[in-house]
Amino acid sequence: MAKLTIDGREIEAPDGAPLVEVIKENGIYVPNLCYIDGLPPYAGCRTCLVEIEGARGGLQLSCTSTVRDEMVVRTDTAEVKQARQYVLSLIDANHSDRCLTCHRRVKCMPGDVCLRDDVVTHRCLTCSKNYRCELQTTNDLLDMGVDNVEPWEGEDRTYYQWEQPEPDRANPFLEFDPQMCIICTRCVRACDDLRHTGAITLAGRGFSTRIAFGAGGPIDESNCDFCGSCIDVCPTATLMEKPNKWLARTEDWVSTTCTSCSVGCTISVGTRGGKPVIVKPDTINPFSDDQICVRGRFHYDAIKPKERLSKHLVREGDTLQPSPLDAALDIVADRLAGIREQHGAASIAFLGSPFATNEENYLVRKLAGVVGTPNIDFTVGPVNQAAAHAAQAAFGVDRLPADLTDIPTKAKTILVVADDLEETHNVAALRIKDAIDPRKLPAREPARLIVISSRRGELCDFAEPYGGVWLQAEAGQEAAVVSALAKRIVGDENVAASAKSAGLDVDALAAGPDTVTGIENSTLDNAAAILSEAAADAGQTIAVVVAPKSVGVALAAETTKAAANVALLLRGASAASSFYLLPTEANINGARDMGVVPGEGGLNFIGIVEAASAGDMKALVVAGDNPLMFAPGRAKVEEALGRLDLLVVIDQVLTDTAKMAHVVLADVPAISKDGTITSADRRVLRLKAAQAAQGEAQPAWATLSQLGQRLTSRLGGGESFSYEEASEITEEITKSVPGYDRFHFHGYLGWGKGRAVEDGLSGTIALQPVGEPASTPPSNGDVALLTGRTLFTSLEAASIHSPEADKLHREDAVLVNQYDAVELGISAGDGVVLKNGSAELSLKAALTNTVPRGSVFLSSYYDGGVVNTLLPSENGSTAPARVTIAKQS
Amino acid sequence: MLDTEATLEIAELVAEFKPGNADLIPALHKVQHRYGYVPREAMGVVAKQLRLGEAQVYGAVTFYSELRVIPPPQTRIDWCSGPACRLKGGENVRLALESVLEIGMEENTAGDKVGLHLAQCNGTCDFAPQIWVDGKVVGPLTAADTITLARELKEKN
Ligand code: SF4
Ligand code: SF4
Ligand code: SF4
Ligand code: SF4
Ligand code: FES
Ligand code: FES
Repeated sequence: MAKLTIDGREIEAPDGAPLVEVIKENGIYVPNLCYIDGLPPYAGCRTCLVEIEGARGGLQLSCTSTVRDEMVVRTDTAEVKQARQYVLSLIDANHSDRCLTCHRRVKCMPGDVCLRDDVVTHRCLTCSKNYRCELQTTNDLLDMGVDNVEPWEGEDRTYYQWEQPEPDRANPFLEFDPQMCIICTRCVRACDDLRHTGAITLAGRGFSTRIAFGAGGPIDESNCDFCGSCIDVCPTATLMEKPNKWLARTEDWVSTTCTSCSVGCTISVGTRGGKPVIVKPDTINPFSDDQICVRGRFHYDAIKPKERLSKHLVREGDTLQPSPLDAALDIVADRLAGIREQHGAASIAFLGSPFATNEENYLVRKLAGVVGTPNIDFTVGPVNQAAAHAAQAAFGVDRLPADLTDIPTKAKTILVVADDLEETHNVAALRIKDAIDPRKLPAREPARLIVISSRRGELCDFAEPYGGVWLQAEAGQEAAVVSALAKRIVGDENVAASAKSAGLDVDALAAGPDTVTGIENSTLDNAAAILSEAAADAGQTIAVVVAPKSVGVALAAETTKAAANVALLLRGASAASSFYLLPTEANINGARDMGVVPGEGGLNFIGIVEAASAGDMKALVVAGDNPLMFAPGRAKVEEALGRLDLLVVIDQVLTDTAKMAHVVLADVPAISKDGTITSADRRVLRLKAAQAAQGEAQPAWATLSQLGQRLTSRLGGGESFSYEEASEITEEITKSVPGYDRFHFHGYLGWGKGRAVEDGLSGTIALQPVGEPASTPPSNGDVALLTGRTLFTSLEAASIHSPEADKLHREDAVLVNQYDAVELGISAGDGVVLKNGSAELSLKAALTNTVPRGSVFLSSYYDGGVVNTLLPSENGSTAPARVTIAKQS
Repeated sequence: MLDTEATLEIAELVAEFKPGNADLIPALHKVQHRYGYVPREAMGVVAKQLRLGEAQVYGAVTFYSELRVIPPPQTRIDWCSGPACRLKGGENVRLALESVLEIGMEENTAGDKVGLHLAQCNGTCDFAPQIWVDGKVVGPLTAADTITLARELKEKN
């Protein structure tokens, strides 16, 4: 620590810290229009001038100066102010500056003609960033208007007479208006250094220097993935969020959590007139920190308010009719009580949801308890249960202790078994890139990456060029590839010896394959060498990351087992601290922790469907889940749901499942809810309502508690369901759910850091044999059908089949390998038919080279999960489904 | 980016270059040598070969004015943007060229017949304001001269 003096104040700061950050942290104003906290300085704008005693050559840039002991800094002298004003006036000179140096700005309205300059059209008053603009604030704080700093006074202001470059407003997310640009290059560095995307560049040179995307074309033709990180750092109105651009002068900010995947990025939602109008990253979760993805930033308004449910509905014949809440709840309670009396509690089942809060899942569990049924799960429960069981058997703990923040800060060797992690878990993929290609300060040593995936995602490009390896497994063979690696590593005597001394039975790996079709032995050797090196260096931090696909129970189990074996070989008894199981949907871990898993002798989702189909299951209560969207073998699920005597759905939109229901209870979106969720590495994160409920809709927790009150009065039981606020349920969770005792909704201070994990070092560890992969050989030109969560498609919009569910229209087509397409005579945009037995699906084709030959890919959310009509019901096979594809005649 | 005959051909052309920034300019030179300019799809291919972002490649292409992003025109007009030419009415010459040819700076007319390029002073300021038609100095020009010349070029081609 160094002691320095700033404006006469004694301050302590780390030696070598960037001076500009230290000044800001201490609440002293310093303009810094080109600096990005945490990145190396660019030193382009020259507004951050300060006086440093003893420094040669006059005023210094505080962004390039670093803290030294006994440094004496002045930011408030007349000389500093004047120099900053002069520099800023040069920046203003090429900007629509009229309001910036005008003392009467507050009195002007957008429609007023400027009193100073009658050629002026563009200026702050007509700018969407007015009053939330860093350039404007900088002008204000440097008194540019008060002191009337206009060196060009009396000269022609050519800025307003020039033809300005054209804005790019062609995409739904990011607006680019280059005439507002001050060429600070923050956006370029954000995209390069904070995102590793590199979609923006400084093009041209000299006076014609400008910002450009990709190869100079429209933004949506570049590799930009619309994370919006560049918007966050832009000090002007050049880069703006397109939705609500003119409304986003916020009245309030609410800190909550994104529920679009299990990373659990914390977000701040800006509201105006009670409506969300803008989303920014909130640094509460240290893993997401200052970054989010397109879903977190833009999906809050994926659907229009009128597309959400605002009334509760009750079936009358073929239609669902609006009903008062009380009447609807009475029907549900009466019929549940009746069914239990007639057919027994086992004829009733409950589905919680990975999209619902912990509080709601907790109540689902509690309700099932009142009814007395052990049949409780959610649609993708069996897949996640299989993966979680495999991990538990490997490490002897259920709530794995590995902390995701270790990846960007410490990990040196990273193994990722996942198809396209940037699509499923965008910010997790970003943090892995941070480890491979560290750009932030303080510098860290780069990590090496091994990726095992069938599709080519962005992460694949972070493997081999950085000394790692990408193993392109055939779909369904991922576990076999990992097993082949494990077998090679355990061939190393030292690894085998230390595994044995950790009590592991290495014979469990003996049956693993030596070779895998489609992968060169030398590539396997290279990857194994990297892992063996990591095994030998016990001090280094490693990370084994597995993101099972959301379909395929056997595949999830085998892949998790295989990856856990590698972690165990590398780190023995402490392996659980390096093993990351990333479920796809946001609150899968929370649902599980709250007990939304089959109880003693209870049926899981697959069993529930079978029982319904056989006529044994009579009633199903679905709280936020949507089996018709997520379950493979959709026809069978539909038939089973159709046989129920009572189907109750709690949801915020009229999903396909809700359309079949007898009673639909209107829920609100996550952005309108209080509660908690539990992320992939079991960070317990808080949701806070940023928007009021619409119409008669109410949060599911309220509906569930009212249903609970009715059920206890009909069925008896001492359970209390009287909750005024979600926080009271959170409080009950702290008392009864293991690991959650700290997370009081009010009063807990560690949000974002606190994790509901177990100590992973005391469990019994074990290597597990991995099953032989199944493969269905291709026959007469069929292809493997791959599916998965994609980046842009919104859940809410997809579940009501909105044609705008993917606003960019990149994912609403089946992706065909371009070389296969030539053989099949398919061109981009052609209509094609996919067929599997009697199931068929017509849609458009898009060509790609990210999907391996012999397979096609369709987003799992596309058109309400319609891919599930082509997938067989869970059948215990790890092989992908096969379909035929033909051009539509 | 999809493979096309063009991208595969370019990929082969730049296959010898190693990842990183060092080979960027040589790779772009080789592309320009072969095609006379750097086609848009080449930027993607070069980026992939060198493991850089496409935007980085574009930044380099636009930084060096000897690298072109449009095919060379049959007739090339360089408009001098130097101070002497400007003082003597070069802006009017530019406006005349742009409006008659109906293209902006760094653009070609349909079929790449005539192209406009922004040039720097070459020291022949005696003839300001001037343009160079396929490298030959033409000047001093009035707006009227320019219009006549531009019309002729447009019709001839
Ligand atoms: S970008 Fe900022 S400074 Fe520029 S016109 Fe808009 S509000 Fe004013
Ligand atoms: S939105 Fe994200 S990916 Fe796109 S240019 Fe900005 S920082 Fe880069
Ligand atoms: S677009 Fe914004 S961030 Fe990028 S250089 Fe221009 S002003 Fe700076
Ligand atoms: S990475 Fe996941 S949690 Fe983060 S913003 Fe994107 S979808 Fe939301
Ligand atoms: S912030 Fe220091 S030069 Fe821009
Ligand atoms: S300024 Fe045009 S030739 Fe010198």
